[in-house]
Amino acid sequence: MKIKILYAHEKVKKPVLSTVILKTNVPLNILEATVTPSKGEMVVDVPASGRQLEMVIEALKAEGVEVKELGPTIEVVKDRCVLCGACVSPCPTGAITLTMEKLEIDEQLCVRCKACVIACPFKALSMATTS
Amino acid sequence: MEPRGAETLRTYEEINEKIKRGDAVVMTADEFVEYAERYGVEKAAEEVDVVTTGTFGAMCSSGAFINFGHAEPPIKMWRCWLNDVPAYKGLAAVDVYVGATAASETRGIDYGGGHVIEDLVSGKEVELRAEGWPTDCYPRQYIETVITLDELNQAVLVNPRNAYQRYAAATNSTDRILYTYMGTLLPNYGNVMYSGSGQLNPLSKDRNYETIGIGTRIFLGGGIGYIIGEGTQHNPKAGMGTLMVRGDLKQMSAKHLRGATVHRYGSTLYVGVGVPIPLINRKVAETAATPDEEIYTEILDYGVPSRSRPVVKKVSYAELKSGSVEIQGETVKSSAMSSLPQAVEIAETLKKWIEKGDFTLTRPAELLPTVREFTPLEVKRYEPRVRDVMTRQVISAKPTDDVKAVAQLIVKHGVDHIPIVRGDGKLLGIVTSWDLAKALAEDKHTLQEVMTSRVIVAKPDEAVDVVARRLLQYKISGMPVVDEELKVLGIVTTDDLAKLVRGRRQGETR
Repeated sequence: MKIKILYAHEKVKKPVLSTVILKTNVPLNILEATVTPSKGEMVVDVPASGRQLEMVIEALKAEGVEVKELGPTIEVVKDRCVLCGACVSPCPTGAITLTMEKLEIDEQLCVRCKACVIACPFKALSMATTS
Repeated sequence: MEPRGAETLRTYEEINEKIKRGDAVVMTADEFVEYAERYGVEKAAEEVDVVTTGTFGAMCSSGAFINFGHAEPPIKMWRCWLNDVPAYKGLAAVDVYVGATAASETRGIDYGGGHVIEDLVSGKEVELRAEGWPTDCYPRQYIETVITLDELNQAVLVNPRNAYQRYAAATNSTDRILYTYMGTLLPNYGNVMYSGSGQLNPLSKDRNYETIGIGTRIFLGGGIGYIIGEGTQHNPKAGMGTLMVRGDLKQMSAKHLRGATVHRYGSTLYVGVGVPIPLINRKVAETAATPDEEIYTEILDYGVPSRSRPVVKKVSYAELKSGSVEIQGETVKSSAMSSLPQAVEIAETLKKWIEKGDFTLTRPAELLPTVREFTPLEVKRYEPRVRDVMTRQVISAKPTDDVKAVAQLIVKHGVDHIPIVRGDGKLLGIVTSWDLAKALAEDKHTLQEVMTSRVIVAKPDEAVDVVARRLLQYKISGMPVVDEELKVLGIVTTDDLAKLVRGRRQGETR
């Protein structure tokens, strides 16, 4: 599950993620981060589900940050996609599979690097808006 | 031996009779490969009349001739734009050629001639703007209007080079991502990109060109088209034949004709081409039965920006299509720039057209040539090389040297770059006056503490403009020039390049 964490400015200095990792023992993976003096935003992959995922989210909230669950990362415009493979092998994590009928993106493997968005000659792929 | 194109198994007339009666036996190339494998080529050749092929990929040498008709008052257009994409105007008053790779003057390569063609085929309005060359017969100076495909007198796709028989695959040995016309190439052999439909490719299915030639009726962009000859760079000896094709844009569809932009490379047109291969003799049937496992290409290293890129390995289309290839013992992902599902669909569509009796075959007026020169372009003018502009007297230092001593060297000789070398002259790193300032600020004392050890270098026989691009790319102002053993031969800086430009200017005025 990928989540977005929003820090208000008074939380920017606190080691929120480390605290949560130590508390829950879940190895969170930071995919994107923007931290400015006034606020912070992070996209984090939480390799957990069910009760464990809930624990992570609760722990984050207890640290005083806002948490949003993210839906699919990459959107495919079906009638722009010609089923070539321009995005498939450039994906560094092997998250994209092409069959004779469709393009499949494994959300678990996607690290939001946009390599596929850049590689598509037809602008058929885009990063889903998360805010 | 039978002459090329001998109709010993069946003639075009016999096949067309069967097509009209609805009795012709047609298979796609995929089906035929499997059928021949199972029952033998002999039996397959007896039973099957036509094998259909297909390919759908980026075909940069594509474009359309358009005739707009005459406005009132008329204009002799001498510059013309379609949705801000310049069209070629070295033709009569209202004829233009819009080429797939022409880029929009307002949107750059994000929108090009390929997109104009797709928009026309989709029935969209396209903005026409043209400047005239006023004459007594063509008084108008400027025109701005919108056009649609329906309103045009002629809109004819004429592609100088399509449907490459096979194409070299690409990988990247360097440590940075490359954005090439073969797509995104990850660093350190991170992936392989290829193009072409392998056993579905028209020319691979008739590799002696016994049935393909001028006048062959084909599937083109969703409509009916014709082969009008060999394509440019047709290289039969290397097994890399190409086709020149034409077809009426008004019959075509955006499904099989798609504008595309390859990141940091340019705009292009994806074209769908399907050619029927009549099994007129046994040799044609044998080539039509060739499977992906026996159609080879080479994986080239696009990390070397040269005409002759090093071959990494020979590979079959079966391996490429499998999704991974082995390179130096590692499994590397492979994927295509072209679309295999679309190629399959084109072969199936053409098969249906023939089975329904809508599409008959034509005997070419002339077969494609099996011998053709394929020569590179020789540069006959003087082109400066790095060795001609580099500074040979290099002030260098050793890694253990003291920062202060080197700072004194920089001041004394008025240079900005000091290569750091071993005793035998082999390059280890570089320091610039900036690094020394930093050393001072951070209280470092020896060069090895501050030097950059991943040095961008030039080779003495590289062209100056390639090196100038590299300086810009890495935002640096100088590079050591080294030989194969990394021994420093000189240094080339932006100053050296500036002098070169000044020298040329002086030469011109003399």
